[in-house]
Amino acid sequence: MKRYLLRWETALLAMLIAEFAIFGMINPRFLNLSNLLYSTSDFAQIGIVALPLTIVIIAGGIDVSFASAVGLCAIVFGIANFFGMPLPVSILASLAAGAAAGLFNATVIHVSRIQPLVVTLGSLYLFGGAATVLSGVVGASGYEGIGNFPDAFTSFAYFELGGLPAPFLVLLVEAVILFIVLHYSRFGRSVFMCGLSEHAARYSGLPIKTIQTITYVMTGVFAAIAGLVLSSYFGSARVDLGTATLLPAITAAVLGGASIYGGQGSIIGTLLATLVIGYLQQGLQMSGVPSQISSALSGALLVVAVALRHGSAVLADFVAARIMATNRKRAAS
Amino acid sequence: MLDFFARNRVATLCAVTILAFLLIGAAAPGYLSLSTASVVMSNSLVLMSVALGTMLVILTRNIDVSSGSVLGLSAVVLGMMLNDGHSLGLAIAACLLTGAVAGLINGLLVTMLNVPSIIATLGTLGLFRGVMLILTGGNWIEELPLSLKALADNGAVGFSVLTVIVIASLIVVGLLVRQTRFGRYFYAVGDNREAARHLGIPVKLVQIAAFVAAGVLAAIAGMIFAAQIGFIPNQAGNGLELKAIAANVLGGVSLLGGSGTVPGIFVGVIFLTSIDSALVFLKIPAFWNDFIAGAVLLLVLLLDGRVRMAVDRAIRAKRYAVHHHNTPAPSAPTNSETMSKSRTQEAGE
Amino acid sequence: MEQNTTPRIAVRVADIWKSYGGTPVLKGINIELLAGQVHALLGGNGAGKSTLMKTIAGLVDANQGTVEINEQTLGTASPSAAQSLGLYLVPQEAHILPNQSVLENICLGLKAKPRALRAEAEALLRDLAVSLDLDAQAATLEIADRQIVEIMRGLIRKASVLILDEPTSALTPHEANALFDRVRQLKAQGVGIFFISHKLREIREICSVISVLRDGAIVLSGPLSDYDDNQIVEAMTKTVQSAQPVARAETDIDFSTRDVVLEIDRFSGEGFRDISFNVRAGEIVGLAGVVGAGRSELAETLFGLRPARSGNLNLLGTPLTKRSPRDCVDAGLVYLPEDRQQNGLFLEASLAWNMSGYTMHRLGFFPKRKDETSAFDAFRQSLGIKCEGEGQQAGRLSGGNQQKVLLAKCLAADPRVLILDEPTRGVDVAARNDIYRLIRELAAKGLGVVLISSDFDEIEQLADRVVVMAHGLQCGALERDAVTVDAVAHLAFESGSHSHA
Repeated sequence: MKRYLLRWETALLAMLIAEFAIFGMINPRFLNLSNLLYSTSDFAQIGIVALPLTIVIIAGGIDVSFASAVGLCAIVFGIANFFGMPLPVSILASLAAGAAAGLFNATVIHVSRIQPLVVTLGSLYLFGGAATVLSGVVGASGYEGIGNFPDAFTSFAYFELGGLPAPFLVLLVEAVILFIVLHYSRFGRSVFMCGLSEHAARYSGLPIKTIQTITYVMTGVFAAIAGLVLSSYFGSARVDLGTATLLPAITAAVLGGASIYGGQGSIIGTLLATLVIGYLQQGLQMSGVPSQISSALSGALLVVAVALRHGSAVLADFVAARIMATNRKRAAS
Repeated sequence: MLDFFARNRVATLCAVTILAFLLIGAAAPGYLSLSTASVVMSNSLVLMSVALGTMLVILTRNIDVSSGSVLGLSAVVLGMMLNDGHSLGLAIAACLLTGAVAGLINGLLVTMLNVPSIIATLGTLGLFRGVMLILTGGNWIEELPLSLKALADNGAVGFSVLTVIVIASLIVVGLLVRQTRFGRYFYAVGDNREAARHLGIPVKLVQIAAFVAAGVLAAIAGMIFAAQIGFIPNQAGNGLELKAIAANVLGGVSLLGGSGTVPGIFVGVIFLTSIDSALVFLKIPAFWNDFIAGAVLLLVLLLDGRVRMAVDRAIRAKRYAVHHHNTPAPSAPTNSETMSKSRTQEAGE
Repeated sequence: MEQNTTPRIAVRVADIWKSYGGTPVLKGINIELLAGQVHALLGGNGAGKSTLMKTIAGLVDANQGTVEINEQTLGTASPSAAQSLGLYLVPQEAHILPNQSVLENICLGLKAKPRALRAEAEALLRDLAVSLDLDAQAATLEIADRQIVEIMRGLIRKASVLILDEPTSALTPHEANALFDRVRQLKAQGVGIFFISHKLREIREICSVISVLRDGAIVLSGPLSDYDDNQIVEAMTKTVQSAQPVARAETDIDFSTRDVVLEIDRFSGEGFRDISFNVRAGEIVGLAGVVGAGRSELAETLFGLRPARSGNLNLLGTPLTKRSPRDCVDAGLVYLPEDRQQNGLFLEASLAWNMSGYTMHRLGFFPKRKDETSAFDAFRQSLGIKCEGEGQQAGRLSGGNQQKVLLAKCLAADPRVLILDEPTRGVDVAARNDIYRLIRELAAKGLGVVLISSDFDEIEQLADRVVVMAHGLQCGALERDAVTVDAVAHLAFESGSHSHA
């Protein structure tokens, strides 16, 4: 029992419940079940990219390029559709583009041995630029986007199963799969071990490069899925579809317990953190707070949460030292 | 050869930049002119100032991704003060103070609470942007007084006051990190934090100073931004932090801390900025801009990484060269000495 | 002499206590250093001398007790506070700023004009009789030169108290003599010096007072002339003497008829050249030498962690050409690395995870927890691992138990040849005897064992045959009965002291 109470995920769950309680008091309509479920469509994409990002971070890497990979993959889908490809082919093309983007990141990181943050920063521009160029090629200049999708595609985002909207359903299925892979499989264990100690992993003969490459490719593929979900939701593929997910997704991973130094993090944590962040924005909006303030509060939330986690470690060390000193004095006297 | 490129990153980038200019000049006559140079220079001022501050933070082996929001926030403080009728001097002072406080917050989070700098500044990136939006209520600040806009006007010699300010900051920071004792600490703290601590350097103070300086320089960039375009939109400075880091990387500043120079920043920023103007002259649609910037950045990174690895290999090979012909030692250890040595080791385990 | 004039007390340490994570490291230390005195400090690894010196230098905050430097109390534990009181610690491993110049490395933080500092540094180089390019980048310095930089840092700061932590371990005899001359000069100038060393000859040469630490307490202290070498060694090693080491097994196995399991032929790589030897089934081959002789480099190259330059490696009669650690593990060769904390263990991972390090690829895609628990429990029993269970974090175990977990990790891979690199470093006496027994049992089961050790007693006790390395070269081999501490030490040191051509 104690084991579960002391977990970070429990704290996140408490945060979520507190959020529901506070916003529910301000505006009872917030707690309406259909509202709670329906509003997930506004932030499901954050979770879709934050979950694989968590795995990248656990393995000791970081990826910021997913934010533009979302747009790039959406544009690839749009173009394939524009040239009359059947829907499954277009979707496959988009997923392949995402995988290629991830493979590209991993390759550059391993070939240049430069920190992943810098490399993916470069590809953040490159993918964004490539998406802009591609959409320029088919004449969808600027940020208008590519539309005219088949109905089957655009209706997907509004499809519901047992009351759960499709984007949220995608997120849940993804979370279940990644949860099993990360926390129960051999691969997941190698991911953690790479991040815990790259030295020890190397000496143990773990295929570090392969493991890290897989994590980046996963992020690329899920960025493509996020791009498809958003294209379906908005009815058009735009270059800047994923730009707004950059900060919230990293926030979700870190708030969810992923350590930027690697080796720590959990799928459930990130999923809960996504809900905390998403409902914070929804709740603030419904309470009549302008959206700009809610973005400030999300930033503040990240700072406070991380400061608390790190600060409490510093405090715990200090307290332990004090207790030990008092004990000895007592023993001496 | 490799060694030269590895050591003279700035010279290499300079050569590449000049070569690129010449090629573009050949392809698009009229490109190589004083007016182009003047446009590139004034377009690069905002990025230059932000990148300079980012360099100080990176030297200490931290990173600052909040500078775009600091720029926006301090520009808004400047604009609101001016529109409330305060004097230009007072408004600029408040603007710089805002930047300093923002930097101080970053610095305290990183040093006192041990939050990794990327996370701390990612948080404050959102936080400062939000504070700015709360201040403006989401509205753009327009109709800035002429006194501010006049700063951007080219004077008799073809330089604006802003250019002078940025050049002066470059020189001041350059002298600070090269010549002064405290300035050298920036390199030491980033190069080997444990060694710096061991040598009695105030490691935390140096890191805080770097963040505060970065905040002030971002505020200066905010002032330049407001003066140059005459109004302050909501998204002022958005994405600039990433461009500043890109300019640092291009300019040879190591993200592992401890190495980087001000001339490198200058060349890196000019290179990035001139891509825009070159595209115009080459009649390439503007939407190629980000793609080219990203491709160039990654190409430089790849080359740099390969060169550095080659140099490392050379150093390793030198270190592991096995000495073959040794001269006999003056004295061989005596029996009792080796005995006591082994005893000591035994005791140690 | 010092007593007559009652010189100034340079350092006074009173009742210092320090513990890490509940384990006491210093237990009420009292020690005094007089100005103009060179005070030797001895003690084994883990005896607490490093922690004590770091406490004096302000790098470690003691739980209790006071430190006075030049009659002023060191209030806050900060190196700059200690330095401003006139103390400088020259650490055993130099703290180098790799991207800065040598001059910068020496003078960083000093207030004088750059030109004056350069002149001073050049003068110091002359005094020390070493040549060093002050404008070179520090990353290119060899280990000995890095040590010189550290020593110069202390000297140029004109500290009135110096702590030298094994300053000669990386120096050539010539450089060491120049350093001793300098130490005598400083002593004459009234500088107080703590001198940490393992070499009694050095201590006899320049020290006047000695203190010996054992288990966080001072067990012997006084004028050096009062004690002979035996008394000093005895004071340090009492615990070792009391715990009887396992007697050397007296067996007369003739290994020459056994199969050769590992054969190395003219093997060269980073830091070693032309090494040839073989290991037969059931045999323990010692690979002896002093630190830096190239033994770990050899082992890491054999295990595919570093590139080989030339030479052949045969495992069980088949050449192992394409080598990665995983290929080696699958072929039957495993390596227990020297640096347990950094390269061996995943300190924050569970014991079961640690155990699966070499065999992860053999587990199913979803490892069965029950199987792993029973596998771990089997090792827990056979190796005598003291722990709470397979879910405990590896970092929480004692050194000896950590080493046993690593042994379990190696054995889980079902190897034929085991390379053990300093398997008992930082391990307490009881656990060490356990590990000795285990190594013998493994050999008796037919494993070929390569035992890398700088502890020649360990080599004498365990090895059936010894290959001695010095400065990257094979400098001798000893057969069974010829393996004695003296013989091994002779080969290792005599060839070793020819260093630095």
